[in-house]
Amino acid sequence: MEENVMVKVEHLYKNFGNETQVLKDVNLTVNKNEVIAILGPSGTGKSTLLRCLNYLTVPTKGIINIGGKKVDAAKHSKKDVVDLRKHSSMVFQGYNLFKNKTALENVMEALITVQNKPKEEARKIAMNYVAKVGMEDRKDYYPSKLSGGQQQRIAIARAMAVNPNVILFDEPTSALDPELVGEVLSTIKDLAKEGTTMILVTHEIGFAREVATRVLFMDDGKIVADGTPEEIIDNPEDERLQQFLNVITK
Amino acid sequence: MEEVQFFKVEYFLEVLPKIISKVNVTLELTIAATLFSLILGIFIAVVAYYKIPVIYQITRAYISVMRGTPIVSQLYFFYYGIALYSAVVRNMTPLVAVCVVMSLNEGAFMSESIRAALMSVDEGQKEAAYSLGMTNFQLVRRIIIPQAIRIALPPLFNDIINLTKMTSLAFMLGVPDIMGAAKIEGARTFRYFEIYAAVMFSYWLIIFVLGLIHKYLEKKCAEAY
Repeated sequence: MEENVMVKVEHLYKNFGNETQVLKDVNLTVNKNEVIAILGPSGTGKSTLLRCLNYLTVPTKGIINIGGKKVDAAKHSKKDVVDLRKHSSMVFQGYNLFKNKTALENVMEALITVQNKPKEEARKIAMNYVAKVGMEDRKDYYPSKLSGGQQQRIAIARAMAVNPNVILFDEPTSALDPELVGEVLSTIKDLAKEGTTMILVTHEIGFAREVATRVLFMDDGKIVADGTPEEIIDNPEDERLQQFLNVITK
Repeated sequence: MEEVQFFKVEYFLEVLPKIISKVNVTLELTIAATLFSLILGIFIAVVAYYKIPVIYQITRAYISVMRGTPIVSQLYFFYYGIALYSAVVRNMTPLVAVCVVMSLNEGAFMSESIRAALMSVDEGQKEAAYSLGMTNFQLVRRIIIPQAIRIALPPLFNDIINLTKMTSLAFMLGVPDIMGAAKIEGARTFRYFEIYAAVMFSYWLIIFVLGLIHKYLEKKCAEAY
């Protein structure tokens, strides 16, 4: 794989049962420093694609390569999957912080268990990222004592701390109260400025236009449009894309 | 004619120490059976959680039998029935036999309490752990079990309270516990009213203390998060 290719997806298929085809031959290459926004109507496989990248959803067919770790759906072991996951991290719609750990411990957890770092070093690294998302003063709070926006910022710190090849965002603001969306989006924006490679599934068109370097439009299990935000959002050519943007911006 | 006293306080106070002196047998039985049924319960719960083939089906059948039949019949079946064919059971003291049956019985109930607690940890946290590259074992040890313990505490204490009271059946196999002392005393004086009042007080006292322990542990857990 080329030096600056972070993610490569080849001929990815996902079926649920015999009838439902959610992903139909998806191909995608993501380069270093790219910020990719995936748009599309609900039920078109955006989240499924994201979840296939770290095998939270096991693909039916296809090859995924992240940071040089290549996994073929046709023949993969448990170890392959664990190794693949070490190259990416994910920010979920529902935050999914570990409830029995403080904000700081949430960020430290994978550094200790997955990367085998000594506790003190893990704490130092974690502190750095907790500060980055502006949560130093709440670092010892348990998730139950944090607002949705604060929880999501910690979840972002947790995803950054493992220094992944790519961070996957699965509708990171969809579960938030409207007044809390801003703080999370601005945190993601800061990440994008630093050149973090990201793939984000989002419904925030304005945000996608602002932070994404590239926008994908998915419909019916396929990537039907792929280009710069200007091309995809401001001057859409595809008819379905035009329809989608009309509905969403109304 | 001598007046029959309804409740003789002096006799109650006289018999109470005799009854309470047997509390240690009840406690021994309770503690030992709690320990074994807890180990058994955790094992069965983990098997059910991961639906480990074959063992899972066996444990389901076992739970069905243990929950679906009365403990008295289980005691007799084990101590008098199985004993006919097993020298191991024949050579058991009544105390050990009761402990075995009660552990087997209570283990089935505890496994369900523990299983429910394991399942209460939401899917999202598991996905988060997996997405970071954590293994199943790390997930269970560091995320699921610490959270499950807290949730399992109330139902487990219910199980332990049931077990404590269940030990009153041990006398049926000849274990000289609280109930045994009561029976002997009853045969002598026929003052069942005071005697069994003392018995009930003794059990209540044990369970009251258990309740305090439960409260303490729950408070400890709640402080955490």
